[in-house]
Amino acid sequence: MSVKAIGSYDFPSRSRQELYGDDQLVHVWWRNNPFMSAAGTFRAPKAMPWSDFRAALLDPWAGTDPDFDPAAPGSWTLDGQPITPTDDQTLEQLGVGHKSLISFAA
Amino acid sequence: MSNARKLSMKNRYSALTRDLDWTPTYVDPKAVFPFTSFEGIKIHDWSKWEDPFRLTVDSYYKYQAEKDKRLYAVLDGFAQSQGHLSLTDARYLNAMKLFIQGVTPLEYAAHRHFAFLSRYYDGPGPRFAAQCQSVDELRHTQTEVHTLSNYNKYYGGMHNWPEQFDRVWYLSVPKSYFEDAMSAGPFEFLIAISFSFEYLLTNLLFVPFMSGASFNGDLPTMTFGFSAQSDESRHMTLGLEAIKFLLEQDEANVPIVQAWIDKWFWRGYRLVALIAQMLDYMLPRKVMSWKESFELYFEEQMLGGLFPDLEFYGITKPRHVEQAIGEKDLLSHQVYWALYQFSFAAGFTTTVPEDDHLDWLSANYPDTFDKYFRPLWDKAKKVQDEGGRVFFRGLPQLCQVCQIPMLFTEPGDPMRLAQRQVVHNGERYDFCSDGCQWIFEREPEKYVQAWLPVHQIYQGNCGGPSVPEVLAWYGLQDGDAGEYAGSVDQQNWERWHDHAGKADVEAPVEAEVRA
Repeated sequence: MSVKAIGSYDFPSRSRQELYGDDQLVHVWWRNNPFMSAAGTFRAPKAMPWSDFRAALLDPWAGTDPDFDPAAPGSWTLDGQPITPTDDQTLEQLGVGHKSLISFAA
Repeated sequence: MSNARKLSMKNRYSALTRDLDWTPTYVDPKAVFPFTSFEGIKIHDWSKWEDPFRLTVDSYYKYQAEKDKRLYAVLDGFAQSQGHLSLTDARYLNAMKLFIQGVTPLEYAAHRHFAFLSRYYDGPGPRFAAQCQSVDELRHTQTEVHTLSNYNKYYGGMHNWPEQFDRVWYLSVPKSYFEDAMSAGPFEFLIAISFSFEYLLTNLLFVPFMSGASFNGDLPTMTFGFSAQSDESRHMTLGLEAIKFLLEQDEANVPIVQAWIDKWFWRGYRLVALIAQMLDYMLPRKVMSWKESFELYFEEQMLGGLFPDLEFYGITKPRHVEQAIGEKDLLSHQVYWALYQFSFAAGFTTTVPEDDHLDWLSANYPDTFDKYFRPLWDKAKKVQDEGGRVFFRGLPQLCQVCQIPMLFTEPGDPMRLAQRQVVHNGERYDFCSDGCQWIFEREPEKYVQAWLPVHQIYQGNCGGPSVPEVLAWYGLQDGDAGEYAGSVDQQNWERWHDHAGKADVEAPVEAEVRA
């Protein structure tokens, strides 16, 4: 279905990737931890290495839970598919796209 | 003049409303009323619209003026006697902060759009009904502002609500809800606002605030509630009249109306998530639990009472209603837990519920509270006892449709967040539920334009990249946000009351007036 309107109705997305330059939005989700009240969203460069993404964004966010142990996360998934990220891989190399969802269990 | 006779009420109504209508002859009627055909709704006879209340403008104003007089007398008395000191607790006003920030602007939006509709419906019946409601909504906006302005002198969070409605993340939930309706056609708006909002969900939306006021010593808000009650019942009747009129005019209208009910039930249900947490967590003296309220006002009265009547027209219960029922033991807890973690950026404060409050929650939610939620509060309290405070270290992922942070869980699995994603024209979009995903997929062109607060912050459109810059752009002042314990409101409250918890009438209240 589509919108019924009085004229032509075609507008660009207000969150499209080009509005973020060389960066993109990345969602993060700690799957088995209800202490984290919601999933999170970051703006991150596509060329950001995984180790930087962990150290600068994901780990501090997961630290919302005082019991977070940075060594614990595993069972990573990207948009629902299992992944095994390595430190030097960039988000782009990992296949992380605009508004991709990265999740883990710990 | 001696033999001039007064018209009966019915004839007066007819002469002063419907008789003022005419059929355009030298202009195409479609050019005069350009918006009532594109939605596919067929109207054959506008005169079949029955007005719920046959009021004329003069009697309407006379009646409303009397109600205003009574309300303003109460407001004056309350202000002069320092009535705010006899509230149950300063914490109670968090509910009213949410009200002035999130509900009052909706009254104003309704005023604007009903004014538009009072020009653009073809028939004089609905035009006049829309005009009356437009004036009602403006009056509600004004009286709500006046009712709460007295509190604004002494407490935080109420000083910048019109701008905050346009800017603050959780207020984009009611704002986008109403703008979705205002940007739809005139008939969809009726089903969205008059039927779904004012009829189907009104007892879950409006009544909890007014009952909360009466239970917590807020005489002005309670009096406002009474003053608005007769208007609200007229709006409810209008909602019911609107749906029956559309369904009776043409059988082809039925599937269109059903789809709107399906959409607007879920939109409205997600909106009342904010009320659910208010009922269970923000009121120091409780009225009833969200679950009880949902069962009585929605399951019993609407699903049990209204929908069997609508079956006659071929209308069925709203799509996804079973998922709403399935959430009633979880909703308020999940939402307040998120507000607790995000209140560093809110126009109200939150805190860990006290022990007797936790026990009340356990008693009212025996199947879920101790199992899923009390452990979270125990942990948050431990952090607080050690001098810390749990705040979410980042920004939340938002649902593209309801704009609420992705905090809801999978049907049947309260331990797992629900995640739905749809790719549309090569871009991913996220949803909190099957209901919001379904709404997006009906009209993706509409929702791709959503002004999602988190995405706007990251684009640099909200004052700057850091949290303090965003809070400054929100117009938040010291004491508006964050933790209640130790807040400006709490400290003032303590200062204004002696150790027995009674208002200390000798205390220099005026000296503590906020800047």
